[in-house]
Amino acid sequence: MVRFVNVTKIYPGQTKPSLHGINLEIDRGEFVFIVGPSGAGKSTLTRLIYREELPTSGQVWVGGINVAKLKRSQVPYFRRTLGVVFQDFKLLPDRTVFENVAFALEVTDASRREILRRVPAALELVGMREKANQRAVELSGGEQQRVAVARAIVRNPALLIADEPTGNLDPENAWQIMRILLNINQMGTTVIVATHAREMVDALRKRVVALENGTIVRDEERGVYGYA
Amino acid sequence: MLRSWARALRQAVQSITRSGLMSLASLATVSVSLLVLAVVACLAVNLNLMAQELESQLEIRAFLRDGVDPAAQQALIEQVQALEGVRSVTFISKEEGLEIMRERLGEQRWILEGLEENPLPDSLQIELADPHQVVAVAEKVAAFPQVEKVRYGQGIAERLLAVTRAIRIAGLGMVLLLMVATVFTLANTIRLAVEARRREIAIMKLVGATDWFIRRPFVMAGILLGTMGAAVAAGLVYMGYRYLVRFLVTNLPFVPVASPAELMQPLGSGLLALGALLGMIGSWISLRRYLQV
Ligand SMILES: Nc1ncnc2c1ncn2[C@@H]1O[C@H](COP(=O)(O)OP(=O)(O)OP(=O)(O)O)[C@@H](O)[C@H]1O
Ligand SMILES: [Mg+2]
Repeated sequence: MVRFVNVTKIYPGQTKPSLHGINLEIDRGEFVFIVGPSGAGKSTLTRLIYREELPTSGQVWVGGINVAKLKRSQVPYFRRTLGVVFQDFKLLPDRTVFENVAFALEVTDASRREILRRVPAALELVGMREKANQRAVELSGGEQQRVAVARAIVRNPALLIADEPTGNLDPENAWQIMRILLNINQMGTTVIVATHAREMVDALRKRVVALENGTIVRDEERGVYGYA
Repeated sequence: MLRSWARALRQAVQSITRSGLMSLASLATVSVSLLVLAVVACLAVNLNLMAQELESQLEIRAFLRDGVDPAAQQALIEQVQALEGVRSVTFISKEEGLEIMRERLGEQRWILEGLEENPLPDSLQIELADPHQVVAVAEKVAAFPQVEKVRYGQGIAERLLAVTRAIRIAGLGMVLLLMVATVFTLANTIRLAVEARRREIAIMKLVGATDWFIRRPFVMAGILLGTMGAAVAAGLVYMGYRYLVRFLVTNLPFVPVASPAELMQPLGSGLLALGALLGMIGSWISLRRYLQV
């Protein structure tokens, strides 16, 4: 599903690579945690997958597509096959919760009927249905995070990438989001989660890829968080 | 497709009404630049009309040699008629020529009393379909053996044509210049709206919106602004022009002017279409930079 071949990423204006010599293969249906200290390159790795950034060298393959080879006009259609929870949520502040989630369907020219069917279901899953008509700016950090998750799953993506999806949540809500991600994974979606949430990583014993200073230092099936 | 344009229209109306005062200010700017454009266009149309009027007075007189027999005359008329750029050929016999001259002289026609015989030659009066070809046609006519000489206001005709051409080029140049200015006014207005929503645009792109999905509401807003500005400008021009024409007709009746109704139909619809087009181009320009995500 996702394959990194010798990937190095140096942001423009930087000299030190944010990722360096990354080789990684994630199969269809896997659930993978990406862990590592702040600045290790977790977000950069996810950005390369949904093509917000292009690799400086090496190749990133997603679903059999070399993302660097995508034509400009094809990029939107590629991104529609993915669900992404951004570390900074990227919600539209002056739109309602409903509109923010509906938005992911609107860009695909979905019908009104489909939007009215899928959005409430997604909001229900993350426990935000009662706040559907509240504007995004009026939400707490954790609520915004849950809306971001709803938006990422509303299209039933084949691959879900979540960058710190529980970072702002209390343990109870964090577990609820994690359960949703596990659920989606059960239904066949490949899930990649970048996280600092030690307890959850340790409890779930899923595959763990550990990054440090832009390189993979550990890649274990049924791994643990492993930092003090 | 229709659904997405309808949605874009809704969003455009929303964004225009939401930024009320800003939109009003930009509407005023667009109206003013389109107004200036329309005024210049009116001026250009009337200058062109004047130029046409002057040009239409260009004609060629061809004087025939003495003793050309009627068959050769008839052949010449047909050949001249067949030349490119000729509208009509009228044969004027010596007698008719003299009659015309008498009329023209009026009180002073006694000058002709002393003549023993008619000194005038037969002639052809040639009107042109295309005044610009006056010199070319005159040269061709002069080359016929039946023709003694031609007259078309040599020298004056060329200068007149040069002047009318300059008038047309200047008018066109001004109109083009103002069109560019209007595009930039619109582009700037829309750039502000785009700037205010650049974060949103970046998010849209990351979620999988196509360029067109993002562009549509802005293009729609540009079209709306351009059209509304054009409507205001057209209304003002119509009122102003009607007033001006009334003044001219009573005070300077010999100046040819286009009638308000005659001018406003093409100018009004042209202005609306132009406003829409310029708005579209303007929003296109102002968006280009922000779609690179
Ligand atoms: N847009 C950018 N431009 C320049 N440098 C960047 C950019 N984004 C990240 N970096 C740098 O790349 C390195 C990796 O950043 P990244 O955001 O991938 O880390 P992270 O593992 O996600 O950290 P965190 O856990 O704090 O989210 C850091 O040194 C950071 O300063
Ligand atoms: Mg990060």
